[in-house]
Amino acid sequence: MVIKTREQGNIVVFDIEGEIRRTDTVQETLHSLVEAQLARGRRNILFNLGAVEFIDSFGVGQILASYISIQKLGGKLKLCRISPKLLLIFQITMLHKVLDIQEDCDRALESFGKS
Amino acid sequence: MALSLSALFFLITSTFYIIKPVRESFLIAAKPSWWPYADLATALLIGFVVAFNARLLARLPRRTYLTASLLFFIAGVLLFWFIFNVHQRSLVTTPVVDPSGVFFLLWAQAMIGRFYTVLVIAFCFWTDLFIAMSVTQFWIAVNDAFDPHQAKRLVGLFVSGGLFGGIAGSAVAALVTFVRIIQPEDLLLLCPVLLVLALVTVNLVYATRAKPEAQAAGPASSRSVKVGYLESFRTVSRNRYLLLLAGMLGAAMVVASLINYQFKTVLKHAYASDQARTSAIAVFFLVIWAVSTVFHLLTTGRVLKSYGIRWAVSIAPAFLLACSAAVFLIPVGAMLAWAWVARGSDKTFDNTLTQSVRELLYVPVAPELKYRAKIFIDMFVNKFATGLGAALFLVLYHVRQFDYRADQPLAIIRETGLVTLVFACIWLVLTRFVYREYPAVLKRDLTQLWMDGQQVVDTRIDEGLVRQVFEAIQSRERSTTLYYMNVFNLVRRKNLTPELKELLGIKRDEIKARAMDSLFDVGGSVFFPGLEETITDSDFQKEIDFIFLLPSYQKIMDDRLGAIAASPSEVDRIEAANSISRMAPSPPTMEALARLLQDPSPEVVLYALNSAAVHRRPEHVPLILRQLANPMATAEARSALAAYGPGLEPLVAPALSSPDQPLEVRRAIPEVLARLGTQKAADILVAELARRQDDMEQPLIDALYRIRADCTEIRFRDRDLRPELHRLICKACDLVLDPPVSSEEFKALLDIRVRRVFDLLTLMYPREDIVNDYQHILQGTSRSVDYSLEHLDNLLDREDKELLFPLIEDLPAEERAQRLRKALRLK
Repeated sequence: MVIKTREQGNIVVFDIEGEIRRTDTVQETLHSLVEAQLARGRRNILFNLGAVEFIDSFGVGQILASYISIQKLGGKLKLCRISPKLLLIFQITMLHKVLDIQEDCDRALESFGKS
Repeated sequence: MALSLSALFFLITSTFYIIKPVRESFLIAAKPSWWPYADLATALLIGFVVAFNARLLARLPRRTYLTASLLFFIAGVLLFWFIFNVHQRSLVTTPVVDPSGVFFLLWAQAMIGRFYTVLVIAFCFWTDLFIAMSVTQFWIAVNDAFDPHQAKRLVGLFVSGGLFGGIAGSAVAALVTFVRIIQPEDLLLLCPVLLVLALVTVNLVYATRAKPEAQAAGPASSRSVKVGYLESFRTVSRNRYLLLLAGMLGAAMVVASLINYQFKTVLKHAYASDQARTSAIAVFFLVIWAVSTVFHLLTTGRVLKSYGIRWAVSIAPAFLLACSAAVFLIPVGAMLAWAWVARGSDKTFDNTLTQSVRELLYVPVAPELKYRAKIFIDMFVNKFATGLGAALFLVLYHVRQFDYRADQPLAIIRETGLVTLVFACIWLVLTRFVYREYPAVLKRDLTQLWMDGQQVVDTRIDEGLVRQVFEAIQSRERSTTLYYMNVFNLVRRKNLTPELKELLGIKRDEIKARAMDSLFDVGGSVFFPGLEETITDSDFQKEIDFIFLLPSYQKIMDDRLGAIAASPSEVDRIEAANSISRMAPSPPTMEALARLLQDPSPEVVLYALNSAAVHRRPEHVPLILRQLANPMATAEARSALAAYGPGLEPLVAPALSSPDQPLEVRRAIPEVLARLGTQKAADILVAELARRQDDMEQPLIDALYRIRADCTEIRFRDRDLRPELHRLICKACDLVLDPPVSSEEFKALLDIRVRRVFDLLTLMYPREDIVNDYQHILQGTSRSVDYSLEHLDNLLDREDKELLFPLIEDLPAEERAQRLRKALRLK
């Protein structure tokens, strides 16, 4: 898993590539990276999952843990360009009702300002 | 014509019972070592004579044949009278060569004296032949005169003729010999008179018979397909039941034969003169006839009705076993009384109970098999057993030197009694074996005619799967998410067939094709093209499971689920209700579920019920119970409650008996308890049935029937069920006695009542047997209905039978009403 972080205004975009799975866990997890951004005072985070090939429950757990942490501080987490498979997972687990999932990243970025 | 035939039977049996005391008396007068030869002669030779007779029967015109055979017996009886008369006179007078030169008489006197014992044995054989042939000929005449249906109706009249003939013959013989009007052998002179009358009667019958000649020859030609002895032997030897039956009947014959020798020994000792002996024997037969008649009228039917064949079959061997044992305890003075009781009871049982039981034991045997078996048993087993009895007595006679101990009759009958005892024991043991086989043989033809509806559904249809498939298909119209959830749940449940995948729209090619022309677009979103591979992938499924277990997931859902459950969107609430089934049962989740169980939307409730079935929380039971009254959710609510499994009983029992609960709820609970299938559930249902609420009767009985069908290990106490069973039968009886105006309504109501009775019977007796019997009584052939009734007769308790049988037997309305009233009075 490769995570590149970039900032667009007050939004931190995580461009995630590869697979988010338990077996590929490195020192820095997605959640720890989010925690670091939160520590820096960033509250709006967008996960760009367009290049994510696979995500397992660990990965979902990372996303949810991030969501909780961001939510606690009054921030917003949005997800964009998720694969149909990931959407399927979210739908089956009803997480699509909790997480803000956008098809397009630009629209997601725009929506931070709206909501 | 029927009266003529009845008179013919009267004449035949009265002739036989006039001859019989003479036969017995003269044989007893002979040396005991000769007695067995009379039986052996009959055993060995009668078969050949009967075969010869059959040939004559086939070749001669019926009337000629019967006339010729009666003339043969008239000639025979006159010949034997002449022989005995000459012998008796030669004992008291010295023959004188008179001038008229009747040399023949002198020669005859000499020869008769020399071969007297052999002639007595020939007379015995001739007597046996007479009764065997004349009875057969009588039934041939009946068959020629009437068709089987008419004959069946008149059989009572014919049998009465035979019965009175036996009584009259014995009475005449007893009276005539007792007052010593004539010599014993002169009794034989009465017989030609009776046989001439029989001859006239036969000719009268054939002169006026209803059936034409061609038809009259029917039986002989219809039996043209002859069954050989070897074939009949094979039939018996291959059938365990028939083999046991043959063994039992054989043992009975050996016992009868040995008791007869004991009887003869005592009589030989007790009566020195032919006159006194013949008189005693005639009186004996008269008494036997009288006792048999009274016993038959008063006891046979009642014993069979009350105790069934099970005990009826054992009474004769048990009694004769006791008689045989008693011979070792009696003093010399009681010897004659013992002989009367032993032989008398043997004959009485043979004429009454044993005969009826024997016929009943053949009931479960198929007609073709029975015909073959009877040939072997009647023609071989009986003769063999009689011969065996004779041979055993002969061996004992020589080994134990009875010849030199003729003055010790008690010792002789005791030693013979030991062998009798052994065979009586064998007889008794075989009756138990036969009885054990009897219901099994009866049941062999009583196979299940159809499967119960519930059974069909349970074995052939996966009700839950069907429901889920329909939910999944319907959910496509609602939302893609709900559809995915349902498909995922379905796939998790089991591997779906390609056809089912196609139906659900998750087949790979199907999705591609439909996706291309947007046919598959539901609610604005296109279905995921790799759905089949993904959703059926076990790793994917595991990952989903892990997600549901994630603490973060649970935390989020704890916070958000309440809001989703309260959402104004029905789809949101449905999805929430569906997802809860996979979530951990945290208090907020369970609260949300409780809320969803009370949702105004039936669809939400249905999904919530499915989730409740997964979590099985006691606090949800009242909410689910409430849904039992909702026609749209009753089935799912029942399934949800049933999913709770054992332990639910105390939670639903109060609602079952509570008058505050809606009737729909109360009527739905029994099935829930039935699906739990526990002893506790069964006990609750029985207790509720005992409260005797008409509205609850049907669901309670259905539930109890289902428990019995599904859980064979559940025990029901007869003392709890019997009163309810009798109440149900009484209700059906009341319906018959006071029927509604419409006959259709009556029949429908009666069918329901009888069905309930049988359903309850399955709790007290083997279920499969009761179900099969019921099905055959309802829709079987007349033969299988008979089998079922006979089977039930052997299976059911006496009290149950007395109440139930008037309801289910094919009876004329008046007789049914009469028997029902009697049964109800007894109750």
